Amino acid sequence: MPLGTLDRSPPPFFRQGLSALSKLIIFSALAVFLMVADVRLGMTGPLRSALFTVLQPLQWLSLQPGRALQFVAQHFEDLAQAQEQATQARKELSLQLLRSGQVEQLTQENQQLRQLLELKQRMDPSAQAAEIIYEAADPYSQKVIIDKGLAAGIETGSPVIDAGGVIGQVTRVHPLVSEVTLVIDREMSIPVLNPRTGVRSVAYGEPAQGAIELRFMASNADIAEGDLLTTSGVDGVYPAGLPVARVSQIQRRAESTFARIYCKPLAHVGAARHLLVLKPLRTQLPPAPEPPRAKSGRGKGGRS
Amino acid sequence: MIMPSGQQLLLPASPLFIASSLLGALLLSMLSQQPWMPDVMALTLVFWTVHQPLRVGIGAAFCFGLVMDVQQAGLLGQHALAYTALSFLGIMIHRRVLWFPVPSQALQILPLMMAAHLLEFLVRLASGGGWPDWSYWLAPVLQALLWPLASVLLLMPQRRAPDPDATRPL
Repeated sequence: MPLGTLDRSPPPFFRQGLSALSKLIIFSALAVFLMVADVRLGMTGPLRSALFTVLQPLQWLSLQPGRALQFVAQHFEDLAQAQEQATQARKELSLQLLRSGQVEQLTQENQQLRQLLELKQRMDPSAQAAEIIYEAADPYSQKVIIDKGLAAGIETGSPVIDAGGVIGQVTRVHPLVSEVTLVIDREMSIPVLNPRTGVRSVAYGEPAQGAIELRFMASNADIAEGDLLTTSGVDGVYPAGLPVARVSQIQRRAESTFARIYCKPLAHVGAARHLLVLKPLRTQLPPAPEPPRAKSGRGKGGRS
Repeated sequence: MIMPSGQQLLLPASPLFIASSLLGALLLSMLSQQPWMPDVMALTLVFWTVHQPLRVGIGAAFCFGLVMDVQQAGLLGQHALAYTALSFLGIMIHRRVLWFPVPSQALQILPLMMAAHLLEFLVRLASGGGWPDWSYWLAPVLQALLWPLASVLLLMPQRRAPDPDATRPL
């Protein structure tokens, strides 16, 4: 039998290191500590960013087969289909041209009127284009990773829109990429306004339905299926007037004070590829006025 | 050397192959998008902790779990905890499992995968994550079903001929 057939180094008898059980205890404690640090203390940002940057080349590699397939598919796309798309795009462009001309004029008019009335100037949102690299595979959250990060000047909290409307918000920024939490995520809420009635409310993500839900609206509230919801602009994050969703389903139940209202996001939540990252409004807002000093003793139960 | 009768004597495993198979599994798991898709990373880690417990252990599992957490943008530490427990269970049973034929091995791996998945689920429940889709529970079953395939693919370099010649080049 040739040499090299067997594993010739015998297992060490004296240097076996820690036992499996003590290793289990140490690493489990470390994992639990990391979870607490992540959720409660918010200390894991640098570790995350460092690991993300190390993973970047692998990530790039894993995307290449898909990209290549896509490229080939686009290459062999039907000529007629491409021409049709071009015509469609031209039509849309001419419509947009009309609108943009009006917007120019309206902006000027608005500016003059605001000057006359001595109102504050409207904020001007500057935007950055970004592309979705991949959707995060975590089954509990709805997030996408985009290809712009700290290096491109992205900030946490920036609103993100696509061609349809608001798609989410930047929740973590890494050196080269950022994480965007979509509006349908469970932990996402967005203040909205119903332009038909002028009622403001807050919409919460409902990932199981792929929708957002308006909670705490009274059963007899004036809302109808098909109503458009836009951002209200009172939150210091989203600029006012961006389309968010359309009311798709209203269940008014006798046993409950509140109606159950589901809305379908106007952004292409599952299929978008190109996004715009806006600057968050709070950097442009004036500082909030100092809250009045709480009176000593009984106030609002000591809540801050 | 005590080993099951009728089995081929394997060549020693190359550490380079172990490392590259783990990296390959990481690449594959980056592509999975749906909750029902099997976690190839967990399968490869269990495979190597069962076959090479001195080379791939709890520490490696923890590190790869951390990488998975960062990549999936989830709660940091959930995969790390699940993989740590998984490799501990793998080390617990590694002396027994290899005496069984491969399909029975898959059956013995299934409770391990389920336990790791359950641990991850409980962690998310405790941190307020809500209920995932029912298809989430399909993943550990698929991972156990992939065990025979993993045993073929990952043991291939160790099953090569010890003295390659013209008729047996590999």
